[in-house]
Amino acid sequence: MSRWSIGLASACALAGSMNVAAKPIAFADGYTVMAEYGAGTMTELQFFYAPRYDFSLGGGHVELDSDETTKARRIDYARLNYLVHRWNLDDAQGNVYAWGGLGSATGNTFSGTVRAENAGLQADYETRRVYASLKSDLQRSSTFSHRIDTLQLGLAPYKHDYGHLATWFLVQGRQYTGGIHRGTESALLLRLFKGGAWIEAGITDGGKLQAMAMFNF
Amino acid sequence: MKISSRVLFPLLFLASASVQATTVEMNVNGLVCAFCAQGIEKQLRKFPATADVIVSLEQKVVAVALKGGQDIPDGELRRALTNAGYTVKAIQRTETPIAELRERLKQGKP
Repeated sequence: MSRWSIGLASACALAGSMNVAAKPIAFADGYTVMAEYGAGTMTELQFFYAPRYDFSLGGGHVELDSDETTKARRIDYARLNYLVHRWNLDDAQGNVYAWGGLGSATGNTFSGTVRAENAGLQADYETRRVYASLKSDLQRSSTFSHRIDTLQLGLAPYKHDYGHLATWFLVQGRQYTGGIHRGTESALLLRLFKGGAWIEAGITDGGKLQAMAMFNF
Repeated sequence: MKISSRVLFPLLFLASASVQATTVEMNVNGLVCAFCAQGIEKQLRKFPATADVIVSLEQKVVAVALKGGQDIPDGELRRALTNAGYTVKAIQRTETPIAELRERLKQGKP
């Protein structure tokens, strides 16, 4: 078990059942664009429009590349995101999101294009100093099944306010199923956001880049 | 003394305008993330009566400066905040100019 894994496990223990990640729904009549580079094993681009605050529609493209074999997947999908529940507390907010979608996939271990199904769940909790999220995203078809589970725990060194730069330090743990990556991939991340722009970057325990950018407008 | 309606009505209008609220202050739950709070500003700026909007995460306050002589009903304000994903706890109308309120919130005063 690496030192980062021990740190992640300790953070999890400290945080108890808190859990989140970037939200798939911005606000009513809002657009979200997200791009993520996940250490060379997962690259994803998403675009959503939210007609209401509790659901959004859109689509994405995800590329999965195994770091153990030459296995590769390319999936395009349309997706609906739904805010199952939100807790607006005095000094905190918690959310549960669910999503589902359909798409098409190509890969180098099967021929042609196959239909792909997508489903996921995300729960998050945040105050102005503490942040936690747990996300599970499944892409499956008749020929493959890949689930990506991501846990993020964050601390802000100061309380930001609206219109000011927000800074967060995060530890991330991620597991892949379906032969994309063996074991838990952990990463240390720096997240910055201001206005409708959010960027996040860091390094994994394997020394690879983990980065994400998100824009709400 | 007899006062004609031509004099009385303008006087009444001026009197009501002088006590008209200039700012609506709302106490809001769930205000923890500036990235998400931009939805509040977007929703509130859609009202023709909105002159300016302030969001303070520190004080958990959202304020709308009203254009002269105009108002936004409480129900529409609550709906706008709900559409942004937040919960309104209370709404107060004040005569505090928005610049003064901004300064007060910046100093950390509720």
